[in-house]
Amino acid sequence: MSTDVSRTDSQTPPADAEVRRDRPPHGGRRAPSRRVRAAVLIGGLAAALAMVAVVSAGSGQLAIPPGEVAGSVLHRVDGGLESLLARFGVVADLPLDVGPLPSHAQGENTLWLVRFPRVVLAMLVGAALATAGALMQGIFGNPLAEPALVGVSPGAAVGASLVFVTGASFLDEWTVPVAAFSTGLCATLLVYLLSRSGGRTEVVTLILTGVAVTAVASALVAFNTFVANPEAREQIVFWQLGSLNGARWPAVTAVLPFVVVGLVAAVLLARSLDLLALGDRAARHLGVNVERLRIVAIVVVAMLVGSGVAFAGVIGFVGLVVPHLIRMVAGPGHRVLLPASALGGAVLLVGADLVARTAIAYADLPLGMLTALVGGPFFFWLLRRTRSRAGGWA
Amino acid sequence: MIGRSVSRRRRIPVRLDPGEVIAAAHGAGVVLGGARVLDDVTVDVRTGEVLALVGPNGAGKSTLLSVLAGDLAPVSGYAELIGRPPRRWSAAEAAMRRAVLLQQVSLSFPFTVAEVVRMGRSPWAGTEREDEDEQAVAEAMATADVAAFAERRFNTLSGGERARVALARVLAQRAQLVLLDEPTAALDLHHQEMVLGVARRRAAAGDAVVVVLHDLNVAAGYADRIVVLSDGSVAAVGSPQQVFTSGLLSEVYMHEVEVLDHPRASTPIILPRR
Ligand SMILES: Nc1ncnc2c1ncn2[C@@H]1O[C@H](COP(=O)(O)OP(=O)(O)OP(=O)(O)O)[C@@H](O)[C@H]1O
Ligand SMILES: [Mg+2]
Repeated sequence: MSTDVSRTDSQTPPADAEVRRDRPPHGGRRAPSRRVRAAVLIGGLAAALAMVAVVSAGSGQLAIPPGEVAGSVLHRVDGGLESLLARFGVVADLPLDVGPLPSHAQGENTLWLVRFPRVVLAMLVGAALATAGALMQGIFGNPLAEPALVGVSPGAAVGASLVFVTGASFLDEWTVPVAAFSTGLCATLLVYLLSRSGGRTEVVTLILTGVAVTAVASALVAFNTFVANPEAREQIVFWQLGSLNGARWPAVTAVLPFVVVGLVAAVLLARSLDLLALGDRAARHLGVNVERLRIVAIVVVAMLVGSGVAFAGVIGFVGLVVPHLIRMVAGPGHRVLLPASALGGAVLLVGADLVARTAIAYADLPLGMLTALVGGPFFFWLLRRTRSRAGGWA
Repeated sequence: MIGRSVSRRRRIPVRLDPGEVIAAAHGAGVVLGGARVLDDVTVDVRTGEVLALVGPNGAGKSTLLSVLAGDLAPVSGYAELIGRPPRRWSAAEAAMRRAVLLQQVSLSFPFTVAEVVRMGRSPWAGTEREDEDEQAVAEAMATADVAAFAERRFNTLSGGERARVALARVLAQRAQLVLLDEPTAALDLHHQEMVLGVARRRAAAGDAVVVVLHDLNVAAGYADRIVVLSDGSVAAVGSPQQVFTSGLLSEVYMHEVEVLDHPRASTPIILPRR
């Protein structure tokens, strides 16, 4: 509708606003196409996620057909719901127990003890990293901000390596995530404080500050690696390569609350992040408490990234690539960008992990290596494109 | 739905009657980067009037707007927005009371024009006035003449088109105090007249409009009162006829200025001597 209006308008510019009073009051409404596109995008990503998850869970040394994977999940869901209802005194026979069960004797165990925790962890970590990237870009007002670039992941690595070296286990399976979270948050705050001046963040300052903080963090990790015993050293090295190898349910339950809280908080910030695109002052003029928004967003980023990398290690570029692709399809509005990025990140990481597990037989490639291999060139392309468009940055 | 939870304790503004002081600076002084940028500036802004701020580059016009908007706290004297220091209002409450068009307009992500204008409605999210959203956006886009490119991305627009979109965003906010920093700097003659016409209509409807202008003839033609700033101080305040004299303008701008009577209208014509 609005395209028709614009065509007539550009031919006969009205002399006065009065001329337009006959237009329906919805003339300024966002075109439905973008909303439809957003719905299609979210639906498509959710479907893709289900598909890639089923395929991934079925792939490996013991191949399980997708139908059997789905059947196994449905049976468990059915049984789970029925026992839940029974607890409330409701006896029901739900019709969800359809589809074939794994035919191989070890199929059920392989799925539920090894594959599913790994797939779910990949989803959570991917969602966390991509959402954190989108948040970061929102608060810095720059599409190139990325958790790894501004020192969050290197910061988290300091905490994780320290735990490996000292063998600390004061919080059981929560020790590594808590340590990674804390040092990741410190690194983020440091970059934030150092790179802002006069209420603005210059991109060059941001990236150079990230370089500086990363350098110091890497030095600390190197020191930890140096003093570690061989076993801890191996843990540190492989942790940094990034991998979901050995993921079990406890890891999933440790990461889940952080990611859920982080995603919910991120979505609650969406409207304010949109306004921040106008700049700090204009956002404040529209009612955004800018400093509080930034602090909250940075804590959320540290939480997402810290918990994400804690079990999976350093996995770069997911937070850069995914939000950018989503923005190209659905526009920059954060109310769509954030949830779609979460889904997109989950799809990407489940897919990447599938490749990492199956590309070379009997080898589990480092996941972080794979994402960097693809993400690095993409980042370069992005840099070139933005430069040629905007004529570079100040 | 998210906005609702944010809106918990915001006080919805009560409209002031025409002629009441909505904002003011009393002996305000501002120091930026070690230099005194504003010195003992006293200005009051009343509802129902268009107040023009004029003066040379660097005179402190934008700084004065920042003080009135609550971006800057004066180091001496004080400012006031509806009876209290502007910075004592929360960001959300201030946003329902005053709208600001900054001299520099930027957008870090490629939102569409319609989305940008819609951002002007965010102060009202979760309040009863949220119901006006559609109407306010449509009217603001029509008034600023940007409806024609509603679905274009902001960063594909020309400079003047961007300025009009930013203006539409400010109009859509429907605050009773409107602060406009050089809204016409990038505009063609037609749109310049259009924007000042909007300012006049808003004032007639009981709003207060403060507008920074460089074109003295435009200021003379549309403003009820003019504040001439020079080097951080108020050089003159009054009606165009009172303020725009050859002597004062020549001194303030350090350039010979002639002031002639218009053959038909009562507004003076201001010409630099060439
Ligand atoms: N952050 C700052 N640090 C130091 N000096 C500043 C700062 N901001 C503004 N100034 C100085 O304060 C003075 C007033 O600036 P202001 O922006 O208010 O001028 P203006 O009247 O709006 O000028 P223009 O017509 O060019 O927009 C200028 O001399 C400017 O250089
Ligand atoms: Mg200025």
